[in-house]
Amino acid sequence: MTSAAIPAPPRPARGPAALAAKLFGSPLNVVLTLAVAWAAWSLAAPLVRWAVLDAAVLPAEPAACRDISGACWSFVVAKSGQILFGIYPIEERWRPTLVCAVLLGLLAYSLRPAAWRPHLAALWAAALPGVLLLMFGGFAGLSYVATTMWGGLPVTLILTVTAIGGAFPLAILLALGRRADLPVIRTLCVLFIEVTRAMPLLSLLFIASIMLPLLLPEPLLPDKFFRAMIALLLFAAAYLAEVIRGGLQALPPGQAEAARALGLGYWRTQRFVVLPQALALVIPSLTNTIIVMIKNTSLVLVVGLFDLISSGRAALADPEWSSPAMETYIFIASVYFALCFGFGRFARALERRAEATP
Amino acid sequence: MTRETPSSAADLAVEVRDLHKWYGEFHALRGVELAVAAGERIVVCGPSGSGKSTLIRCINQLERHHAGVVRVDGLEATAEPRRLEAIRRAAGMVFQSFNLFPHLTVLENCTLAPVRTGVATRAEAEAHAMALLGRVRVADQAHKRPGQLSGGQQQRVAIARALCMRPKIMLFDEPTSALDPEMVKEVLDTMIELAGEGMTMLAVTHEMGFARQVADRVVFMDQGQIVESAPPGDFFAHPRHERTRAFLGQLLH
Repeated sequence: MTSAAIPAPPRPARGPAALAAKLFGSPLNVVLTLAVAWAAWSLAAPLVRWAVLDAAVLPAEPAACRDISGACWSFVVAKSGQILFGIYPIEERWRPTLVCAVLLGLLAYSLRPAAWRPHLAALWAAALPGVLLLMFGGFAGLSYVATTMWGGLPVTLILTVTAIGGAFPLAILLALGRRADLPVIRTLCVLFIEVTRAMPLLSLLFIASIMLPLLLPEPLLPDKFFRAMIALLLFAAAYLAEVIRGGLQALPPGQAEAARALGLGYWRTQRFVVLPQALALVIPSLTNTIIVMIKNTSLVLVVGLFDLISSGRAALADPEWSSPAMETYIFIASVYFALCFGFGRFARALERRAEATP
Repeated sequence: MTRETPSSAADLAVEVRDLHKWYGEFHALRGVELAVAAGERIVVCGPSGSGKSTLIRCINQLERHHAGVVRVDGLEATAEPRRLEAIRRAAGMVFQSFNLFPHLTVLENCTLAPVRTGVATRAEAEAHAMALLGRVRVADQAHKRPGQLSGGQQQRVAIARALCMRPKIMLFDEPTSALDPEMVKEVLDTMIELAGEGMTMLAVTHEMGFARQVADRVVFMDQGQIVESAPPGDFFAHPRHERTRAFLGQLLH
């Protein structure tokens, strides 16, 4: 036994000198560093030349893109209204603009933990019918706009928020139902999850848009937009339910037992003890599934709804322009990126919050 | 076999009649009879697999029994959810593995059930919880998470949490078995204090010192049956049954 204190091993060195030692410390490292730097440069340089140096941004007219070899951002600037709002009547574009502002604003507001109080649910409950009414119009002097004229970002946002917002509570019920004591409930939940999960989303959307009209009489048939919304919702619910079930199974049974032993009933046990812990356990996979579902909303284009991608394609059809498809898709991709990356950061913050409670 | 004859059924905190429980083909409880009078303190012991945990988990109905009668504080256990909740409110339980809620603070652990079942307002529940946390000497930890506490502290919080529902009887399911040896005493001391205050207690434990000190009766179970039930003096000095003697022999080695 030694009585002298043994010093802790030194921390790894940091700073430019340490970095240089890592990158150029041995002949092999010098070769590797130079090779990687060369590869990065030969990929990045043409990209920067195309996207920035040789690109046209203004004026937002076809002439701006005639004699350039780079990107034609002028097209995106000129057509941004059409890409973002589709064929919604131009003089009424303030309505989808307002809808997007409300939804994005409310989403941003909802990200703050301080906002997670009952009034938030009330805000959403008021906002969703509100934005739908504003999109439809047909009251107070607003002209009626059918869902066939809706397009672009508001469609993507409304579908995302309602499909995922509705899928989440349904998924919780399905996951709980799959573990219920009553065999009837268990069987129904398993059946729904397995059948929905086994179908490609595309076929589910086709069933909703083509087969339902054959099965249901006209007055009972929801609008094509809402049929697609329900298909997305059910699909997302089946996937989320299985993720949530993973969390429920990971939780030690002693937690629910302790809650029941204190006299809490089934629902209170789930709400205050089981779900807060089970959901926190599966935040990474929930995030993953939700991001996939955000992007899945773009598949509604196959049933003739104009989401961001379809309205982008429609904008490209203008013969005045030389069809700068790459620029358009980069723009659309950046909108999706902002949505999904934003959600990913939110989920990471949520995870850290959950980790902070050992 | 000694059994006190209670003056009337209404005085019984717990009444178990001809209780049977199966796990698949395994007959875990085979006709258990047990009556616990209000204020009585009973220690249940027996080899592992003898059904002692199953018995107390049947009393607060964490496990459903298959035949027989369970009554807690005069309420007969049925499948009816309201009845089960009432029984569980009357019978507080402390688990071997503490089972504190790790996502809540110590204080929130204690106030969750009283507030959410509506038996107290938040202010009342917090005042009561702080008083109980003080009694089990962890009041200074009230705003920490359970994960920041030692095992002994956690188990004392679990006792306070159960007491927050003002139970008529406390059930202990091997409360010291998961503890490091140096923490066993602080939990036992808390239980001894609780017994001193007149709480009705039914404890599954192998702490024979505790049984000697506080139990009115020691119950020995083996193979799903109560083999012997006697005051601790008799139980340890003159065990009647061969299986009891064998068990005590192993325990005292």
